[in-house]
Amino acid sequence: MRNVLYLIAINLLMVSCQDVIEVKVPSSKPRLVIEASINWFKGTNGKQQSIKLSLTAPYFSTEIPPANNATVTITDTNNNTFSFIEDADSGIYFNNNFIPVLNDTYILTVIYNDETYTATETFVPVSNIDSVEQKNDGGFSGNEIEIKAYYTDPADQKNFYFFEFENDRLPVVSLNVYDDEFTDGNRIFAFYSDEDAETGDILTINNYGISERYYEYLFILLQQTDEESGDPFETQPSTVRGNCINQTNPNNFPLGYFRLSQADQFIYTIE
Amino acid sequence: MKFSPWLLLFYCLNISNVIAQEKFTISGTISEEKSNETLIGVNIIFPEIKSGTTTNEYGFYSITLSKGTYKLIVSYLGFSTLSEIIVLDQNTTKNFSLIDAPESLNEVIITENIEKLNIRTPQMSVNSLTSSSIKEIPVVLGESDIIKAITLLPGVTNAGEGSSGFNVRGGAVDQNLILLDEATIYNSSHLFGFFSVFNPDAIKDLKLYKGGIPARYGGRVASVLDIYQKEGNSKEFHANGGIGIVSSRLLAEGPIKKDKGSFLLGGRSSYAHLFLPIFDINNIAYFYDLNTKLSYKLNDRNNIYLSGYFGRDVFSIADTFENTYGNSVLNFRWNHLFSDKLFSNLSLIYSDYYYGLKLNFVEFDWVSGIKNFNIKYDFKHYLSNTFKLEYGINSIYYKFNPGDIKPTGASSGINPFKLIDKYAFENAIYLDVEQKLSNKLALSYGLRFSSFFRLGQDALNMYENNQAVTFNDDFKIYEKAEPIGTESFKKSDVIKSFHNLEPRFSLSYKLNDHTSIKASYNRMNQYLHLLSNTSSPTPLDVWAPSGKYIKPQKLDQFAIGYFKNFNDSDYSLEIESFFKTVKNRIDYIDGADLIANNAIEQVILNGRAKAYGMEVLLKKNEGRFKGWLAYTLSKSEQQTKGRTPNELGINNGNWYNTPYDKTHDISLTGSYQLNDKWKLNSNFLFQTGQPATFPNAQYSYNGVNIPNYGDRNANRLPTYHRLDLSATYIPKLEKNKDWQGYWVFGFYNVYNRRNAASISFSGNNETGLNEATRLSIFGIIPSISYNFKF
Repeated sequence: MRNVLYLIAINLLMVSCQDVIEVKVPSSKPRLVIEASINWFKGTNGKQQSIKLSLTAPYFSTEIPPANNATVTITDTNNNTFSFIEDADSGIYFNNNFIPVLNDTYILTVIYNDETYTATETFVPVSNIDSVEQKNDGGFSGNEIEIKAYYTDPADQKNFYFFEFENDRLPVVSLNVYDDEFTDGNRIFAFYSDEDAETGDILTINNYGISERYYEYLFILLQQTDEESGDPFETQPSTVRGNCINQTNPNNFPLGYFRLSQADQFIYTIE
Repeated sequence: MKFSPWLLLFYCLNISNVIAQEKFTISGTISEEKSNETLIGVNIIFPEIKSGTTTNEYGFYSITLSKGTYKLIVSYLGFSTLSEIIVLDQNTTKNFSLIDAPESLNEVIITENIEKLNIRTPQMSVNSLTSSSIKEIPVVLGESDIIKAITLLPGVTNAGEGSSGFNVRGGAVDQNLILLDEATIYNSSHLFGFFSVFNPDAIKDLKLYKGGIPARYGGRVASVLDIYQKEGNSKEFHANGGIGIVSSRLLAEGPIKKDKGSFLLGGRSSYAHLFLPIFDINNIAYFYDLNTKLSYKLNDRNNIYLSGYFGRDVFSIADTFENTYGNSVLNFRWNHLFSDKLFSNLSLIYSDYYYGLKLNFVEFDWVSGIKNFNIKYDFKHYLSNTFKLEYGINSIYYKFNPGDIKPTGASSGINPFKLIDKYAFENAIYLDVEQKLSNKLALSYGLRFSSFFRLGQDALNMYENNQAVTFNDDFKIYEKAEPIGTESFKKSDVIKSFHNLEPRFSLSYKLNDHTSIKASYNRMNQYLHLLSNTSSPTPLDVWAPSGKYIKPQKLDQFAIGYFKNFNDSDYSLEIESFFKTVKNRIDYIDGADLIANNAIEQVILNGRAKAYGMEVLLKKNEGRFKGWLAYTLSKSEQQTKGRTPNELGINNGNWYNTPYDKTHDISLTGSYQLNDKWKLNSNFLFQTGQPATFPNAQYSYNGVNIPNYGDRNANRLPTYHRLDLSATYIPKLEKNKDWQGYWVFGFYNVYNRRNAASISFSGNNETGLNEATRLSIFGIIPSISYNFKF
């Protein structure tokens, strides 16, 4: 809800003009970034999983270096250990026999440059996307294509959702998180609109179940990446910390997150 | 009466004085000749004995002197000076009417070297502006504006174009007490800060106290902006107005009963569809406000006033949302003279701030606001020419509505939700003494005793160890604590109360007739907090009272200053230096959601703030060329340390710049009367760029390039500067016509500098490469407006 309100405030300020300028920014030493997103799509066995390790780079650098030669494992409550093996020098580590169990707890261990990083998270279930509605006179300006992906929130419990809307023709993936504070137990929708969307575009909609802490994490992260960050109506930005801990040297904390989500996918062709 | 012990004490202190000589009081009201509009801050001077006084907010003065014959001079900037010989052998009531200087034919030339009273009064750190000087300042889109005018004064700034409110001496926007005819105004901005809510036509006078704040004011820690509306012309009917490119305004005033009662009715409205050309979509954005006032002089000892203010901003875009917000104020005041030495004013005030939002695409309604009832009884006791007392009481009852959400349709997926209303009661009793110890040394000292009672509410959360925020030591982040239960109270219960003594002190020492040094100290408490974790407040921010989990803000401020008038007071120079600290300044955990949050204590941490600096104001007060140069060198910082050694605090517990910290702030404002028809005005501003947080690295996550931000407000936007020009053209006056019109032509940001309002960092939509985007709000903007009066 807050994002909606901020959006309004910002758009009202468009009396202005924007241009790209050169700015000198500070730089910090590289940190490990752990993107350990275990997704189990409904109707699949969830055995093939991957984890991406990379490093931070100077802000205006055109390349983001991978983190190579790490040891990556996930352990479940039954003491199964799943080893993730790097594919060449990609920084992407794969495992093909992962066993997903909803609501179970998993532990991630990454050993990189002789430092050990760990994280603990539970596997979060999710509701189905039951239908998708389209309006052609929607969006903020009233003339954009607007998509609502409906789902039903389970009553009497806190639920958190992470939605991806991926248009096959456009480079930008639209990401959103939702909570159920004001919508508990209701049929409610996730919202997508893009002024560049057109009839015939294929929209892949993914709904991931997430934990409350991951919701808070992604909420701040998304707020800091939107184009209006830094204007008077935005909250003050800062380094966003995830749930991975450097056990060897706590000050050299990693970025990123270890999450496990059940996911539902809906492919929709824009009419 | 409740305060009689105080009175008695001070009578006793002064008793020797009273008995020693035969003394008489001269008192009265000073007003403008044409309209009977009372004048604030008029100097009444007795040059032979180097004594004098000034009129108060209601135009009243009183001074008690030994029996004798005196020369008396009444002087007020912009008006002809009056001079009269007074034989004071009994208590005398003497009212004066002053005539506008340009229109008076035989101006009395004062040859005596009038000592300006501002040199001698202990009050420092105060700036006053009249409505006419505010109107001369060139402004964006030709709309003269009080808040924009005061940001040209030393020590006053704001967080950039298009940000609401103003910041005084490194204080936050919510730390300013804004009074309109004694009533508190909670939001001073229209259109997200582009304009202020005050109609300059309806304003008589304003004073901004930045330090040495008298004990009669309290409840905010940075400044007091005390604004008085005109009473209305009680001699004849007049109207004035203007047509500009953003708004039009009309104000009518006239007698209800000649020389006794008057009315004033002013309205202002911007044009709908203000932003239409920018959006290319169906939208409405406008504001309006109404100022009304009825004044009636019952007799020589009693005046009553009824005044009202109502303002709203309305936005709507397509059918998606509609947003309405604004202040309303209703105010009844009664001036009563108990004697020619004891002036009193009783105020009964209702004020409310309303915020409403309709979001049609998610089908819900949102309403929030703050309401309060305020009673003030203030006394000004002019005991002798060296001893003056001010004392009074003040009680405010608050009702806070943090938010009420209602679904608007059957198909809405939103559940109705009412955030819990909060109630509070704030009381204060104060005494201020102004005492002249010798011809050189004057003191003013006072004490305010303030108390705040947080009254009962439903379902207040309880937490383990009363800690509503916990620190997650593994992830090094702050998190909301889980409540261990709730407690409910009756409305009459007091959940938590605070009592504070607030001493105030200032002194002036006169080096010679034109030069003085001054020093002051004030302590103040603020019990209300505006919840806002953005660099500039938004209209939807809600106010929260202190209570079990939020402590009142506490200010200590010291200031010293050097004041000089030279060249027959054509010029004045004020140099001041200040240092202040604020305890319990709230800060927010990362990602704090302040909107529709029923347990705000779960996202708040207690920090502190400090600011220090130096201000220089060089003014040319009279002549064809008038204006001022203001320079401020200052620092404003904030710190929120961890509560235990393990906790990181905000920004790793380090001091960080506030968003309105501007090291150098220069403004040059001038007007030049070219001839009878043309007057030229200009402004030049030069400010250190405001603090910002830039990324120190980037990384990739979920296919998105994420900027990683470093220390808070450690970087700065580019230096801000601009020049504005305007010219006023008054066509030749036709003698027998009542209608008088004038044109104002202006250019804002003449050399079209693209000052950055913000710099944002994100990947380019097409190339995906990171870039820094500058947002600049106003380029060169021409304006024209036509103003008239009849």
